[in-house]
Amino acid sequence: MGCGFAKSDQAQLKQLNRGTSIVPAATAMRAALLIQRWYRQYVARLEMRRRCTWNIFQSIEYAGEQDQIKLYNFFGYLMDHFTPASSERNLISHIFREHDIGRDVEWESYKSIEVPELYSGPHLSFPMTFSNAAELVEAFKNKQQLHSRYVLQLLVESWRRLRILPNISQISTCHSKEITICGDLHGHLEDLLLVFYKNGLPSSERPYVFNGDYVDRGKDSLEILLILFSFLLVYPNDVHLNRGNHEDHIVNLRYGFTKEVLGKYKLHGKKILKLLQKIFSWLPLATVIDHKVLVLHGGISDTTDLHLLSRVDRHKYVSALRPPKSKKQMRSGLIGSDLEDNDPTYEFVGSSRRRVRSLTHTTYTVTRHEAPRRSLQVQTTRVTYSVEEELKKRRRQAGLSQSYRDLHNSTMNSDLDSDPDSGGELLDSNEDEWKQIVDLLWSDPMPQDGCIPNDVRGGGCYWGPNVTEEVLRRHNLTLLIRSHECKQEGYEFCHNRKVLTIFSASNYYEVGSNRGAYIRMGPDLVPHFIQYQANRSTRELTLRQSVGQTERSALKALREKLFAHKSELVSAFQVYDPEHKGRISLGNWASAMEAVLKLGLPWRMLRSQLVGETVDGMLDYQLWFRELSITEHKTELSNANLLETMYKNHSNLETIFRIIDTDNSGLISLEEFRQTWKLLSTHLQTDISDKAISDLAVSIDFNKDGSIDINEFMEAFRLVGGDLLQHEDDVH
Amino acid sequence: MAPKKKEEPKEAPKPKAPEPEPVKIPEFNPAEVVLEFTPEQIEDFKDAFQLFDRTPLSEMKITYGQCGDLIRALGQNPTNAEIMYVLGKPKPEEMATKMLDFDSFLPIHQYICKAKDRGTYEDFVEGLRVFDKLGDGTVMGAELRHVLASLGEKMKEDEVEQLMTNQEDANGCINYEAFVKHIMAS
Repeated sequence: MGCGFAKSDQAQLKQLNRGTSIVPAATAMRAALLIQRWYRQYVARLEMRRRCTWNIFQSIEYAGEQDQIKLYNFFGYLMDHFTPASSERNLISHIFREHDIGRDVEWESYKSIEVPELYSGPHLSFPMTFSNAAELVEAFKNKQQLHSRYVLQLLVESWRRLRILPNISQISTCHSKEITICGDLHGHLEDLLLVFYKNGLPSSERPYVFNGDYVDRGKDSLEILLILFSFLLVYPNDVHLNRGNHEDHIVNLRYGFTKEVLGKYKLHGKKILKLLQKIFSWLPLATVIDHKVLVLHGGISDTTDLHLLSRVDRHKYVSALRPPKSKKQMRSGLIGSDLEDNDPTYEFVGSSRRRVRSLTHTTYTVTRHEAPRRSLQVQTTRVTYSVEEELKKRRRQAGLSQSYRDLHNSTMNSDLDSDPDSGGELLDSNEDEWKQIVDLLWSDPMPQDGCIPNDVRGGGCYWGPNVTEEVLRRHNLTLLIRSHECKQEGYEFCHNRKVLTIFSASNYYEVGSNRGAYIRMGPDLVPHFIQYQANRSTRELTLRQSVGQTERSALKALREKLFAHKSELVSAFQVYDPEHKGRISLGNWASAMEAVLKLGLPWRMLRSQLVGETVDGMLDYQLWFRELSITEHKTELSNANLLETMYKNHSNLETIFRIIDTDNSGLISLEEFRQTWKLLSTHLQTDISDKAISDLAVSIDFNKDGSIDINEFMEAFRLVGGDLLQHEDDVH
Repeated sequence: MAPKKKEEPKEAPKPKAPEPEPVKIPEFNPAEVVLEFTPEQIEDFKDAFQLFDRTPLSEMKITYGQCGDLIRALGQNPTNAEIMYVLGKPKPEEMATKMLDFDSFLPIHQYICKAKDRGTYEDFVEGLRVFDKLGDGTVMGAELRHVLASLGEKMKEDEVEQLMTNQEDANGCINYEAFVKHIMAS
């Protein structure tokens, strides 16, 4: 179809003629149309790439969270089933041991910490003043570190403050105060500083609500906490902190906060972490503005009941990943002498009759979208298999819109082992509470009606617009503000503008990946958004450059995953290539990729960036893997399978190492390494011989002193990955 | 049809011909389009289609408004007018509400793929050369901005900005061959 000139075009032409006289009007028109067409194509293609990249990051991120929970559930399962004599049990009891963190006296010990003359960082005095807090912000801006004495003191004072707060804070915009609401910060100090710069520091004229996830991933999580707590102390009625799912010491083990604190505070790090563990459990769960706007971190479910939530003992839930303890169910003597009966924080379901439950109570295939590539399967432990099958069946019969409560009930009913009479009621109400809290911290909205377990993350649920309607109506609210999910523009509405996601960590996945935003809201309760992107250089990037950068990062992460699953992938490919000719069609390649990796990604669209050359639409997969494979590890590992398994699970390994490294020396013994590895291989249901593990342990002990340096070990993986991909980048 | 005098009232009233148009273009008829895509290509399109599908139940449907973006993302560069044509000239409010399923999308996409004047690199450069007053291989950034924002299927200011970022030199001139390569390279 040619460029027909309609009337409006003729008017334009006349206009042009009046202006420049040199260019023939029709030619100029054609030129303009051509450029515009190409521009629009350019933008559309970039958008497509951006979406793909986003999908990659998000699916890897959520798969990691799911992984973490599975690992944790596995330990729970082991604890349930171990007999007292096993040495491995000691290892695991490490993981579950929570030392008494109840007594104040212990915390006062910070007073004995001396601040040396040489210390050039900020000095805090208590009660804190505004200038103290502002000074702290300045100090952190200048990359100073707060002395551990002040850190502990600040944390103790914060804890004192937090424990008198209700579960749900009620605040109002009276006095024409505008409230500022911030979402996830995830250790991105520069974003917090940017918000303060644009919006001003907290004060009674400038109240703030912070909606959780202050820590993990970014490198200044502790500094963010210290700043927020300072302002909390100075303006207790005007600074409100909600708990996020990352305010959880178990999650912190994997996602970097634990490592950050131990790295910055070598002497007192563990103490700081323990105190924070307690503090996290005392963070309020939600904030309500003018009785109309509900602000909480993750989301809701169809059973969310604010009245119930306002009455729970929130500090019982030190980690949302642990089911609540019921004293009646505890089997005495199971755990050992370090059990503190009166310690409310030691939560553990002791009865061997109870199965290990994932946070979502179910493990079956859930399709969030009907398209097959979106389905994710959660692995079950062998013990629970038959029950899961039954659930699957019921679910199929009942249809997608079955509510979470129904599924929960059917879980309870089909637990053939449980004794419905023994303390069932007590456990039920604890279960309810626990579920309410998990839902609040972990849930995500979905476009379709209903409420289904959130199998992608492994915790909480997906809730639909009808649930939003109902919960808001039930509590006489008009808007739900939540965070928890990264959004390109820093914020996003859904559910008919009744749910608003606010995310304040810019460049979350990668430099240039997204903007951060915060909300200003006045008495009219209409949210106004301010967006930003920390890191000046990202603003100067063109759209294509920032998409390109983020994309490279995502593809790198994806390639690492591919390498880690090489054996499984090759097996999957060979299903389509029974004669082992080494070639499969692209269509089969895509199916195999999804079947193994289960990331729900558009593989065909990513194909050009992952695969390269194909001949007649057929891919030579062996060649592909050779191109993809990473250079040899510096130790000579004869067992390639082991290397691959290790690589695939390095996050899990690191988590476990950090747990067992109780004296925070960065070293674990060979014996501990062996035990860890054995445990992990049970979890993964892989078969690795004792000899292979011993050999591995010895080979990794580089300086032959009987211990393994964790950091060195983990570095090996990063280095290995980096080498290859550096090379690839150079080639391109 | 033999022309008839308009004054005769007994004649069956015929629609008044509008002011003379160059060609009376028939409405787009998807049934007339012969699909020449290979099964591989169709699978690729499906993947892309799914990426755009935002329906609650993943019904494999996109809005009319998304159709143009999808076609462009797949490598074509139609004008907005062409998109409107293949969509059957929908009203503005329908763009966000009317849905298109995958089977209806294919003939539309095929039609656009077959369209003749896609514009090659040379066409593009020629198009810009038009503004090269000095014949030195550059055009004035300001003039180009003005043209893009006021002629043809006008671009918005921020779109123009987006396009022109880092293209102009210190004198505000753009080397258009480089510019064309930049645009076509995405």
